Amino acid sequence: MKMLIKIAWRNIWRSKTRSAVVIFAIVSGLVGGLFASAWMNGMAQQRVQNAFAVETAHIQLHNPKFSENLDIKKTISSTSEKLEEINKKPEVKAVTSRLIISAMAATANKNTGVNVMGIDPVKEKEVFKLYQKIDTAEGNFFESKKKNAIVISKALAKELKVKLKSKIVLTFQDYNGEITGGAFKVIGIFKTNNTPWDKTHLFVRESDLRKVLEVPKDQCHEIDILLNDYNQAKTVSDELQMEYPKLLSEDWSLIQPYLKFISEYMDVMMGIFMLIILGALGFGIVNTMLMVILERTKELGMLMAIGMNKKRIFLMIMFETIFLALVGAVIGELISMLLINYFGKTGIDLSSLAEGLESVGYGAVSYPVLESYRYLQITILVILTGILASIYPALKALKLHPSEAIRTL
Amino acid sequence: MSVIKVNGLTKTYSETEVPVHAVNGIDLTFDKGEFAAIVGPSGSGKTTLLNMIGGLEVPSSGYVEVSGQDISKLSSSKLIDFRLYNIGFVFQAYNLIPVLTARENVEFIMQLQNWEKSKMNNRSAAILESVGLGKRMNSKPNQLSGGQQQRVAVARALASKPQFILADEPTANLDSKSTTQLLDIMEKLNKEENITFIFSTHDQRVVDKARRVINIDDGKVVSDKVKKGVMSS
Repeated sequence: MKMLIKIAWRNIWRSKTRSAVVIFAIVSGLVGGLFASAWMNGMAQQRVQNAFAVETAHIQLHNPKFSENLDIKKTISSTSEKLEEINKKPEVKAVTSRLIISAMAATANKNTGVNVMGIDPVKEKEVFKLYQKIDTAEGNFFESKKKNAIVISKALAKELKVKLKSKIVLTFQDYNGEITGGAFKVIGIFKTNNTPWDKTHLFVRESDLRKVLEVPKDQCHEIDILLNDYNQAKTVSDELQMEYPKLLSEDWSLIQPYLKFISEYMDVMMGIFMLIILGALGFGIVNTMLMVILERTKELGMLMAIGMNKKRIFLMIMFETIFLALVGAVIGELISMLLINYFGKTGIDLSSLAEGLESVGYGAVSYPVLESYRYLQITILVILTGILASIYPALKALKLHPSEAIRTL
Repeated sequence: MSVIKVNGLTKTYSETEVPVHAVNGIDLTFDKGEFAAIVGPSGSGKTTLLNMIGGLEVPSSGYVEVSGQDISKLSSSKLIDFRLYNIGFVFQAYNLIPVLTARENVEFIMQLQNWEKSKMNNRSAAILESVGLGKRMNSKPNQLSGGQQQRVAVARALASKPQFILADEPTANLDSKSTTQLLDIMEKLNKEENITFIFSTHDQRVVDKARRVINIDDGKVVSDKVKKGVMSS
């Protein structure tokens, strides 16, 4: 076996130019495939992480009937007790509660329908990262104690034609069904990568909103939970559902099925992508190995004549094919790793497409990411490709008749 | 004691319009330690006969027995194993494995036979020494002359101590000096190791060295002569 491996390895370098061409093809294919996959994967992951950071957290609790039409009366009772209990769970990093109401936001110029989030700024910052989306020139996230402050998005500000310190009047139905409202002063303007979401969400202090809504004390509409590891979301959500059977506990994949879909879709896409690339490379390798068999007919005949059996001939050709593919794979993966790491830090700036990307929730700068286990997967796939690509040339070799093969020129 | 018995051996190629009888009913026996040359003009059937004795071609009729075993009845995979353990081949074009050194080429068959490493190393060193290539063990075939490559091929054929060696035109590509050296080496090894050598050749220098000369023409044995003094020796 050792001798077969030695011969197979040295055989690769007999025709350096030809091997270099095949290796270059494998390297190019893998670098292109891996980098494109990492780019798509990075975009998807950023989309998911952005959603966690500003939209959904990892788990949300609601009154089961609240989600149907944001009915103000469908609240969660004993909020502070629940927050305390949930916070004690080892998997939980932070937890906060929100009052949520549909409202009409109006300025002197325009009005539009919005979702008003009544938040506790301190707890909110522990769970959501919206405060990081405010440029210093665009105010802050409830840093002053001033009452009736409001934080809105850049997109909504543009639509309502308001700026910092402008007033916005919110009109909504209170807890008793009466139409009420209040005037709020803009103290911060944020911008996330999801323009449609930005246009429909604005933030006020929970205490300010509770006062005008007249929602009873210690009741809220939503509890948002951030976990240490988002992969535990389903397990923890199921636990919470058992603990609070009167509430509806949903993990991020249920709140925004689209997020789960894009994660899984990227996995499938990457798989298909790599299979196409490796399939194409496989045919290239088959072609090269057929040329090798043709060139070495005499040598193969001699090997059979002196007693090298079919199994060993087959293994020798298979090893040679695998080595050829592996050399390309190792170089290709190293180059891919360097490129992905580099652009993973600097990012790929697609500012010219920012408007389009942000309209579907993606950032203009994307950071390619490829998990390390993917490299192992690719290596295994390349070895499998090598094995498959060796079968036809090896069978061709086995059909040779030693006495005829030796006579070839 | 006969090592090889060839009985009524025939090879007919029927692919052409008129069937060609490359070998036509040959009967021969070879004893242990023989140094025999099969001679004849081109197309006389020398190589075909040698190929059938070596199990590289299947006879149309007749059989080849090696140490009492009819090799014509072996399956192709068993025939490969048979060749591995019983026959050494020397080819006209040397046919060494170009990516292996002289020593690795010599050890190749021993490796296929799963020899113990130390024994294999000792044997390869000794045999390369005896063919005069002790100092070129680590050279690859492309670093050796034709004569040296053929000496490596002889060493490879002999290394695993086969029952007999078949050499098809071994000197055809060699100059006079290399031919003489190679023949001397083969004669010496034949005597030292008592291994049967059968050559196909039309090189007079080989014929001169051979102790038995079998002349064939049109696939038939025309004459089979043992040189004087050989029987008694």
